Amino acid sequence: MEVEIRIEPERREPRVVILAGEESEELRRLAENLSRLALGPIPVSRGEEKLLLPQGEFLRFYTDGKGVSAQTEAELYTVHLRLYELEERLDATRFVRISNGEIINLDRVTAVDLSLSGTIRMTLDGAVNAYVSRRYVKKIKETLNLGRRKENAKN
Amino acid sequence: MRKIKWAWAAKILAGAVAGLLCGVVLVSYFVGTRGPSPITCLLCAALGAAAGTATLPFADDGRMLVLCSAAHFGVTASLFALLAAQLGARGGNLLVWEGVLALLYAVIWLGRWIGWYVEVMRLRALLGLAPGPTPLKWRETLPYLPFALLLCDILPLILRWLDAPDVPVLSGLILPYLLLPAAGFSSGLSLGKRQGVCPLYPVACFVCYLPMVYLLFNDTALFHCFMVALPALAGNVLGWLYRRAVLKTR
Repeated sequence: MEVEIRIEPERREPRVVILAGEESEELRRLAENLSRLALGPIPVSRGEEKLLLPQGEFLRFYTDGKGVSAQTEAELYTVHLRLYELEERLDATRFVRISNGEIINLDRVTAVDLSLSGTIRMTLDGAVNAYVSRRYVKKIKETLNLGRRKENAKN
Repeated sequence: MRKIKWAWAAKILAGAVAGLLCGVVLVSYFVGTRGPSPITCLLCAALGAAAGTATLPFADDGRMLVLCSAAHFGVTASLFALLAAQLGARGGNLLVWEGVLALLYAVIWLGRWIGWYVEVMRLRALLGLAPGPTPLKWRETLPYLPFALLLCDILPLILRWLDAPDVPVLSGLILPYLLLPAAGFSSGLSLGKRQGVCPLYPVACFVCYLPMVYLLFNDTALFHCFMVALPALAGNVLGWLYRRAVLKTR
């Protein structure tokens, strides 16, 4: 397979075109994986500054009473989207809603604990704590199973 | 919200009907009267309704779950006590029945908790994380079991053997008031510092000492079990708090 990269300085998001003689299962899987990798960045703001950050940088998105905040390893940003809008934009195999007010990046989970009172706590990057509502556990497992199936299909 | 209210209503109604039926059949059978009185029927229906809603507190989590469970237990225990009193239970007998109810609650709680823990283990596996501690840290507690056996079984036997036959100072005084609390607390503290809260350790101390109560003493020495289990629990919690404080400062 030939791979060609063309740089267009004015382009804000990468675009991938696959040229092939005929349609196949492999081709469909490749397109699916590419579109997953090339999911759009998320617009955030920090004071007056507006930024577009790649999805992989985010640890979590959560509501904090004033609006939606996004947390990366080093910074906290404001997001002018609602959680359900974010859910539609984010990579569904990587990001999952864990409670009414929080979406986390499953790739950044470093620990999962259960307290004696039944609270499930997820630790992100070893420092940030997120609390899982048990109503969402089934969905989290489905998301993780989906991710695993895709990983297996890729291998 | 409306759906949840309907679920509550349906469970309360089904529980009340089942409670009433059980009351009519069982009270006549066990108490030997012609039939239960209207007050007994009312209490049976109320207790059945409370039992019908027993699963609802578990739908929440964290603080809400604890509060809902405590409230549910309070209501159930009150109704149960009234029913037992209505059926003739008094004093110690009533307390025993309340104890049985509390034990049943504890078993159900433990069952639920283990179910959640299995879910967490599954999440860990799917995320590719280390398996984490065993349920209720039973495996982490195992290394302390020989010490518990030594303290609660071997030591009392030795002290009793050393004791003067007329005045058992060692086994009757030094053991329950000094050795058991001090050693229970120290070992619990050590376990808490290493592994965090291990609720099975105080239980193991209690259970290990129990045969000694009947082998060396009698019913009146049952408090010895608490003299080792409670300090072990206190030490364990203190050790966990120390460990948590140390981890935070790091």
